[in-house]
Amino acid sequence: MTVSPEGLQEVRPLVLVRPTSTSAVQRAEQRDEANFPRPVRPVEPGKVRLGFVPEEWFQFLYPKTGVTGPYVLGLGLTTFLCSKEIYVMEHEYYTGISILLMVVYAVKKFGPVIGQTLDKKIEDIEQSWRDYREGSIIQVKESMEKEKEAQLSAKGQDMLFDAKRENVALQLEAAYRERLARVHSEVKKRLDYQLEVANVKTRLQQKHMVDWIVKNVKGSITPAQEAATLKQCMADLKALAPKA
Amino acid sequence: MGFGEYPPEYNAKIHGPYDPARYYGKADIPFGQVKLGELGSWVGRRNMSGIPGAVSRAFWRWNHKYMLPKKTGFAPFAQLMVGCMIVFYSINYGKMVHHRNHKYHW
Repeated sequence: MTVSPEGLQEVRPLVLVRPTSTSAVQRAEQRDEANFPRPVRPVEPGKVRLGFVPEEWFQFLYPKTGVTGPYVLGLGLTTFLCSKEIYVMEHEYYTGISILLMVVYAVKKFGPVIGQTLDKKIEDIEQSWRDYREGSIIQVKESMEKEKEAQLSAKGQDMLFDAKRENVALQLEAAYRERLARVHSEVKKRLDYQLEVANVKTRLQQKHMVDWIVKNVKGSITPAQEAATLKQCMADLKALAPKA
Repeated sequence: MGFGEYPPEYNAKIHGPYDPARYYGKADIPFGQVKLGELGSWVGRRNMSGIPGAVSRAFWRWNHKYMLPKKTGFAPFAQLMVGCMIVFYSINYGKMVHHRNHKYHW
């Protein structure tokens, strides 16, 4: 961006004068905006007459000499230079005249066309810059939206994790209880076994004792005792029979 | 004051972006408004070592006005041509004098 001389340029009030506040230097408190304004690139160049004489020189002489002043000055100066032959019109001078004529013709004929094509090219370039800027802004906004959506879905992920965690806890609980039940049944089986073993032992002991007692008693019955008992039984039976 | 360095009076925080066409020192009375009596003191205040800076600033002012605007025309090139013509004619004047067409002038 370049300077615009005080008051002489008109600047197109377009995106060109876009203020930026990204640099710390711009926002310093001592920034003297009044005396040192931010330079702006002018669009139109300084005005010239006859193709190269700045307009300011004409305006400088206008109060004293009016409209024709500078032209009279120029004419008089060239007459003086040529007549006193301070400006010698030698052969190079005529070459210069021919070249000047050709240059003037070329500028008048091709100037506007070239100017318009070049202006259009510049405008295309600037438009591409603006499009890039707008496109970047839109892209950034879209990615902001996507980021918000991603945050929401991330929250959903949180809930998913909680559900999964609950699931796992339930499974652990179920496994624990199953093992508890198994422990209980195993312990019960062992205790039953011991019980059975004790029962069997008691039964066997009892049976053995009974058998041993019976065997001993049967062995202690002498044949005489046996005959006497038998007789007694027969007598009892006979005694009972008539009573019935 | 070296080449390619900022002038010592330039302060980015006060002046903002550097403008090569501006003089950042203390402002003096412009030459068009100096009274005749103050002319001596005004000339005394001039500083010879600031001439390269002044030339550079003048060049940049011409640039900003004619060459760098967005829609320049043929003017700066015409001015360049005329300037070169004047300079080279004055350099070669000694030779040109011998090519005069007439010996005596009015």
